[in-house]
Amino acid sequence: MINFKKKSPASWVITIIMYVLALTWLYPYVWMVMASLKPTQEIFNTSLFSGTLTLENYEFLFSSAEKLNRPFLRSLFNSFFVTLSVTVSVVITSALIAYAIAKIDFWGREKLKGFLLFQMVLPGMMLTLPMFVLIKQLGLVNSYASMILPAMMSGWGVFMISQAFKGTPDDYIYAARLDRSNIRQIVFKLMIPLNKAIVAIVALFTFTGTWDNFMWPLIVISDVDMMPLSVLLATFNKQFGFYVGPVMAGAVLQALPLVLLFIAFRRYFMQGMSLSLK
Amino acid sequence: MSRMMGKIRQRHIGAALAISYLLYSLVFWAYPFLWLLILSFSDWRFFSAPSFSGLSNLQLLLTNTEFWGSMWNVARFLGYYLPITFACSLAFAFGLQHLGRGKAFVALCFLLAHISSGVAYSLVFTKIFSASGPLNGFLFEWFGFKIPWLTSPSLAMLSISLIVTWKFVGYYGLILYSGLVAIPKEVYDAAKLDDTPPLTRLVRITLPMINAQLIMVLVLATVISFSIFTEPYMMTEGGPLDSTNMPLMVMYETAFLRLQPSRAALMSIIIAAASYLVIKLVRRLFERDVALT
Repeated sequence: MINFKKKSPASWVITIIMYVLALTWLYPYVWMVMASLKPTQEIFNTSLFSGTLTLENYEFLFSSAEKLNRPFLRSLFNSFFVTLSVTVSVVITSALIAYAIAKIDFWGREKLKGFLLFQMVLPGMMLTLPMFVLIKQLGLVNSYASMILPAMMSGWGVFMISQAFKGTPDDYIYAARLDRSNIRQIVFKLMIPLNKAIVAIVALFTFTGTWDNFMWPLIVISDVDMMPLSVLLATFNKQFGFYVGPVMAGAVLQALPLVLLFIAFRRYFMQGMSLSLK
Repeated sequence: MSRMMGKIRQRHIGAALAISYLLYSLVFWAYPFLWLLILSFSDWRFFSAPSFSGLSNLQLLLTNTEFWGSMWNVARFLGYYLPITFACSLAFAFGLQHLGRGKAFVALCFLLAHISSGVAYSLVFTKIFSASGPLNGFLFEWFGFKIPWLTSPSLAMLSISLIVTWKFVGYYGLILYSGLVAIPKEVYDAAKLDDTPPLTRLVRITLPMINAQLIMVLVLATVISFSIFTEPYMMTEGGPLDSTNMPLMVMYETAFLRLQPSRAALMSIIIAAASYLVIKLVRRLFERDVALT
């Protein structure tokens, strides 16, 4: 099985099968995009690439859906605002705290590391319900803060980045200190550029995780103007599911940013997936 | 002297950063955690103060057939999901290993499935699997029958595990692939000299050599089976006949639709504990320390 010559027939067969499978795996995406471009009544009775192609579903989503109390444009903004805030915050706080853990010998450093690992072992879904209690007590239900605050710092992010920072030689830091750099300059001008890959991974995974989050905003947001795309799309489907075309256009809207992000940063994603194996 | 001062200053900054993280964790981790424990042993309905109720939540939960049914559904999900996903990811990993050209392209296609958004892909598969959807259209045209993928109580869970498999095969496959490429070639050369048949080679050499990666996939799959929410919520709403009702859905409904947060809190603890114990058990049973000596 192992010693195929590069061009043996068997290896050709496997290559072809793998290519066919890879394209089959994309079928749901292709179907989604094609369905979003067809009038609803044609989606189920035309074959994949035939039928009338139109942008009316997208027009419906951005103009008529507003009158149905489903403001998609606004929810797109909400999703971007929340996701970007969380991502920026996680990257900055993780890098600073990771630097302290990796390079500063302060009292209690080992205990903090132990605490981080303990946090990572406990299943996070356990805290969903009591987190809602906290958000309610703070009076933050139906606000951006309810989606941003609980995710502003990430133990996983701190852990990942500190592992990488440990590998950066101390000499660089001594040199920067001789130049009278302060800690902010050391972290943002030296450590992050030197560890670009891992920081990018933490940023990308935080972005996709937050964008895709469904259960948490479903619990804390009931005001349609504050809903992220995932929740608005779900409620739209629940009430107006018979508008299959617009629902598919909404699905494209929800899936597209992650697909583009993934294609643009695929190198980091692949690295991140193999790094997170440890 | 100034160097000494600098070092002390550094330590202060380090401690300050550590304290900022601890303070954040105190509010957004320890405090909710405390509430989880308080709620589990009290009676509370979102208003006024929780009143201590001892073990009555536990008593109610023990006879809650919906909750235990959902825990049984986790086992049913795993029963479908584990064999399907392991077969597919292993096939993917072997295929990728033997692929001459375009490894990156093939991996990219499979990983695009992995980063699909939960709500979006659940909606798409609901349509693809529907009675008049393209999958049934294909089956009817070629084989003359249709399959009630999401509307039959005995098939709905299988359909959901197929969909989750679609999402995760690329990720799991890459994990297994990273194990496969790390196996030293000499091991296979030795097996070849002994004329070991391919199946024996697979079971006796390849699979044991990637034990760490197999365990990793097993653990990830177990975590998912306990925390799955979006797919059944969007596609079947737990039905038909509660056949796809998962623990987190019961927890969500108990807390936010039936307004019984204290019962839901205890459910959260039990779900988390069960997931932790199953993972522990899986590791104890299957984890091997594989080293070439």
